[in-house]
Amino acid sequence: MSLTQARLQEERKQWRKDHPFGFVARPAKTSAGTLDLKKWDCAIPGKDKTIWEGGLFKLEVQFPEGKFIPPLFHPNVYPSGTVCLSILNEEEGWKPAITIKEILLGIQMLLDEVNPESPAQAEAYNLYKKDRAAYEKKVKMVVKDNPAP
Amino acid sequence: MQRRDRGVAQSLGGPLTKRVKESRVLLVGAGGIGCELLKNLVCCGFGSYQSALPTEDGTETSPAASHVRKAEVVVIDLDTIDLSNLNRQFLFRKQHIKKPKAFVAKETASQFNPSVAIDAQHASIFDSTYNVEFFEGFDIVFNALDNLAARRHVNKMCLAADVPLVESGTTGFMGQVQAIKKGVTECYDCNPKPVQKSFPICTIRSTPSQPIHCIVWAKSYLFPELFGTSEEDSADMAVTEGDNAEEVAKLKEEAEALKKVRRMMGKSEFAQEVFNKVFHDDIERLRSMTEMWQSRKPPEPLSFQSLSEGPSIVKQGQTLALQDQRAWTLLENISVFCYSLETLSNRVQGGENVIEFDKDDKDTLDFVTSAANLRSHVFGIPLHSEWEIKQMAGNIIPAIATSNALTASLCVMEAFKILRSQPAKANALAEPTANNHIPTKAQSTAIGKPEELLGGSKMVFLTSKNTDRLITSQPLVGPKADCPVCSPVYAKLAISEERAETLKALVDLLKRTVGYKDFSMTTEAGIIYDPDLEDNLQKPLSELGITGQSNGFITVTDDSDEPKVDLVLSTTIRRSPVDDAEATGLQITPKKIELPLKPEAAYANGDMDGDAEPEPVFASSAGAKRKRETEEEVESAKKRAKSDVYVVEDDGAILLDD
Repeated sequence: MSLTQARLQEERKQWRKDHPFGFVARPAKTSAGTLDLKKWDCAIPGKDKTIWEGGLFKLEVQFPEGKFIPPLFHPNVYPSGTVCLSILNEEEGWKPAITIKEILLGIQMLLDEVNPESPAQAEAYNLYKKDRAAYEKKVKMVVKDNPAP
Repeated sequence: MQRRDRGVAQSLGGPLTKRVKESRVLLVGAGGIGCELLKNLVCCGFGSYQSALPTEDGTETSPAASHVRKAEVVVIDLDTIDLSNLNRQFLFRKQHIKKPKAFVAKETASQFNPSVAIDAQHASIFDSTYNVEFFEGFDIVFNALDNLAARRHVNKMCLAADVPLVESGTTGFMGQVQAIKKGVTECYDCNPKPVQKSFPICTIRSTPSQPIHCIVWAKSYLFPELFGTSEEDSADMAVTEGDNAEEVAKLKEEAEALKKVRRMMGKSEFAQEVFNKVFHDDIERLRSMTEMWQSRKPPEPLSFQSLSEGPSIVKQGQTLALQDQRAWTLLENISVFCYSLETLSNRVQGGENVIEFDKDDKDTLDFVTSAANLRSHVFGIPLHSEWEIKQMAGNIIPAIATSNALTASLCVMEAFKILRSQPAKANALAEPTANNHIPTKAQSTAIGKPEELLGGSKMVFLTSKNTDRLITSQPLVGPKADCPVCSPVYAKLAISEERAETLKALVDLLKRTVGYKDFSMTTEAGIIYDPDLEDNLQKPLSELGITGQSNGFITVTDDSDEPKVDLVLSTTIRRSPVDDAEATGLQITPKKIELPLKPEAAYANGDMDGDAEPEPVFASSAGAKRKRETEEEVESAKKRAKSDVYVVEDDGAILLDD
């Protein structure tokens, strides 16, 4: 088993034992019925008491990249759905000790705490900067379209 | 004794010379180090013992005969000879270009010592024929590889087969040789290797600051976008209903714009369209995110229109593309950009559906060079020559013949020490010993230092920085207790020829023989079983990719709170009937497996790597402590030398003391 596999297997074990409420993270099932450790289907709930509350956003993590499916309206998410987060960035905040749990919690936090220093899509970013009310309205629409069960 | 053996025999003494001649060795790779190493092995007489048994009569045809160990050198390489190899791979000449390396290497090296049996195989070491049993047939394995994946693979196979491995590599003027033995030394994967540098997507797409960022953008983003299978196609599938429409429309628009541009391929405006999209429109869009440019210099979009008409630009580009040693000016880059786009478009029109970047494909290199330089210009990054960009885009590291030669000779020195420390294997198919290889704490202190167990073998470095010595060494280090590759216990699983056994049968067998409660099983295909995944239990093993004929492994991980070390199973087809009435055709060797507990650090919650950064391997350990150790070692080596015929010197040289 490679280092990567060993590590991901341990992540799976830890997650199975304990994970934050409302979150989903599991290796994707392949057509052969096995679980693909390198590709995880995840879902992040919007944080309570924020405009994202009540939403559940699907994220496909193909290590080491995370992508919202469908692409999420958010200033720090690329049009392709890829997330721009310092703890995902090897040159900035990424450390081998960071677990999937921390990454998902980090992304949940990013939803409401936009990082204007590294915009990734023009649409959400410009709206966020120029018309906050319209931005929040749009987010609420997104939440409505991606409701938590 | 033949005359050519005399020198070797005088240096090594009779017993070791005999071991060397009778050895069966595997050489993986016949490239830079491999050619040198094969020459050395052949000249030292490895595998030159010719068994007296006549084989012509053909009386013995039992299947076991094929597993009887025969003294020989097996060399495996999957490459063919290229012109660029000839400056350092001296077993090859011009007339050999395009021929398989393994075959030519054998042909040339055989002439140095015809009594050596060489078996050359033109194949990949990942091939399933090269399973654990294959590796068990050797006394020693040499890695002469150029990539991490194959090194890791051979490392693992040697650990599973419990065969000593001599791992080597060079980079420019530096070289390294390391002996690896299961349970005795650290393995290749005990220390994390620097992964190939990858760049965050934000840097590549939006905020490049170095030439390499622009090269990666041109090579891995723009080029496949235009000539490969486009990644943006997937944007089509992301359509959702309702208010997301605006977002989706924008995405589609972007993808559409590129597709539109792509569709213009072959038309005369193609180059101009591509240019305007990536160096003007996209840059304008980036600039519109003003906050991004508060602390950075914003990019300056380029406009195409100020240039002369098409045909002459292309022609200029063709001429300029030949000048690869100087950095082209902005206008020159535009010329080459247009020229290469036209050439590549023509190739696509000519039927090449997908073109991949290859540093040796001049058209693709022209494109990547000019596109990277134009982007560099946009972001105020210095421009580079095509020659320089080729090195960066192709990850070219200089290979030096003398480094390879020195390293290959050090490999043989280490092999001598290892061989004399290992008992000769009488038969190829050794039964794996129970709990092979995991020394308990008490044991490991009792058995002493790894290098003593391997005949004084050391980690040897070739360095150019150190002025007073070219070759330095360091004692071998014991295995890392939490290494995912060498800390597990390796065992074998035999499957019946029909391969009808179910996963459930294997799960039951493991519970019975190892005493597992909660555990998971992983193969190359992913997790096949864990406490929350029981879908596969009724499937036959063959359906899960476990055929007994591959070189893959099943890793069994203990999921209990006080986990035992992993168990790694290689699979074979069962040859003899099962004696256990309860078994369902499956058999695990050794029959009794006792797994020690995992060291706590390996599974401690949330801190799986620990904070302690591993010491860099290359740390030069000069100083008083080092010297004292060395002296002790030389002393003990001298003591040993009383009964033997050699003295082990600090730097790995074997001296005559006859």
